Amino acid sequence: MNTAATLLAAEGNNPLIPHAYELVVGIFSFAVVLIVVGRILTPRIQKTLADRTDAIEGGIKKAEDAQAEAQSVLNQYRDKLQEARQEAARLRDEAREQGAQIKAEFQEEAKAEAQRIIAAAHAQIEADKQQALTQLRAEIGRLSTDLAGRIVGESLEDEARQRRIVDRFLAELENDAAVR
Amino acid sequence: MSDGKLRPEDDGRDFASAAWSIPSYLLAGMILYGGAGMLLSRWTGVVAFTPIGLILGVALAVYLVYRKYGS
Amino acid sequence: MNTLTVLASGASGASEDVFTPPGLELFDYPPLIAGVSWFTKPVLLALLSTLIVVIFCWSAFAKPKLVPRGVQNVGEMGYMFVRDQVARPFLGKDADRWMGLLLSIFFMVWIWNLMGVIPIIQFPVASHIAFPIVLAISIYVLKIYLGIKHQGPIGYFKNMMFPPGLPKPIYVLLAPIEFLSNLIIAPFTHAVRLFANMFAGHIILAFFSLVGFWFVFEHLTPLGVGLGVVGVVMTIAMTAFEMFIQFLQAFLFAMLAAMYIGNSLHADH
Repeated sequence: MNTAATLLAAEGNNPLIPHAYELVVGIFSFAVVLIVVGRILTPRIQKTLADRTDAIEGGIKKAEDAQAEAQSVLNQYRDKLQEARQEAARLRDEAREQGAQIKAEFQEEAKAEAQRIIAAAHAQIEADKQQALTQLRAEIGRLSTDLAGRIVGESLEDEARQRRIVDRFLAELENDAAVR
Repeated sequence: MSDGKLRPEDDGRDFASAAWSIPSYLLAGMILYGGAGMLLSRWTGVVAFTPIGLILGVALAVYLVYRKYGS
Repeated sequence: MNTLTVLASGASGASEDVFTPPGLELFDYPPLIAGVSWFTKPVLLALLSTLIVVIFCWSAFAKPKLVPRGVQNVGEMGYMFVRDQVARPFLGKDADRWMGLLLSIFFMVWIWNLMGVIPIIQFPVASHIAFPIVLAISIYVLKIYLGIKHQGPIGYFKNMMFPPGLPKPIYVLLAPIEFLSNLIIAPFTHAVRLFANMFAGHIILAFFSLVGFWFVFEHLTPLGVGLGVVGVVMTIAMTAFEMFIQFLQAFLFAMLAAMYIGNSLHADH
């Protein structure tokens, strides 16, 4: 006890030499703090901090989800609107096409009808002309014979002769017309 | 840094490592080579060995710090 | 209280009127209870500090709430400070694993130091070198253990003593410096830095408060009163400064611990 006291007194003079009992107390103190604060309490606060981060991130995530949903709904509406617009445009185009087609058909028909009418008119005219020509020819023959008989003063003897003369006359007439 | 793993905290870590290692290295260099110089002086009787050892120690420590932390 | 003891010892000296500045006797304490030689004031304060740290942390972190309240807020500020300023810069993704140790060290050292400015107590526990030594040696053992575990017994010493990228012959000269620096001087300065700061701070505070006390209250003379007022003002100023140093040293001690652990987990170059 006495020697220990003198030893301590001697130690006490040099501040760089640790006291043995203080080392022991220091180790004990550090161990207690390390176990209670380091081993028991730190994991608890770490868990709480992690939970808090999760909670905050969860809130952010929820908000993000809501936003994403709103966005997707908006996109859906936009798509539908776009679709409707396209449908309308398509219908309009179709109608326009159909109208054009109908118009073309009508034009075609009208043209064909006109052609037909023109052709019929031509045929009629031709037929009338032929008929008129034939009639004219017979008339002319008769008139010419009459005329010739009158001019010659006598009726020509036989029928055959008459016809020949008339034909010749007509041929001359036609030739004249052709030359002219 | 030579391993190519660049972490954001490396800058601060390197700087602090350097700042806190320099005195330690300087002291080590002085004690080691200053001590060796002193022993040589004792043996040979040439007093100049002690300061030479001290300067050599400081120079080596500075060189070491420069190579390790200087960019 | 210190001033009183010092004053008493000074007064019991040769002359009544001589001002004796405080010295090493500031750090010598007799046993508080006669016969129990180990139970001195520093020991009592060390145990008290432990109790304070444990009680504070328990009330802050025992039942932590998602929305912090009261003491938990203060405790979380401490936790965030250690995590963001001490652990993460040096340990990166390993920071959370070592937070328990670093938080314990930081709080403990800070409370030890704070004992130096609390009225009546007025003794920084860390100014007795045994206490910093305990922490520094614990970190030192941990550092070597982690280094060998993570880099292998040969790899650890090779990485430490032979940093790559130096010309070969110079390793002979530099390896001893690395060895001495990392394995002897670093842990030594780790403990001594804290000890010396608290030791010197305590002497400075004691000196100025003694000057104030002596020249204003003990020996009030027209000549000495100015000096005494300076002493009082400086005591107040130095107490504020000392509180800053106390916090800084606690921070540095924890930071260096984190740095040593970080360097052992992965070789830094």
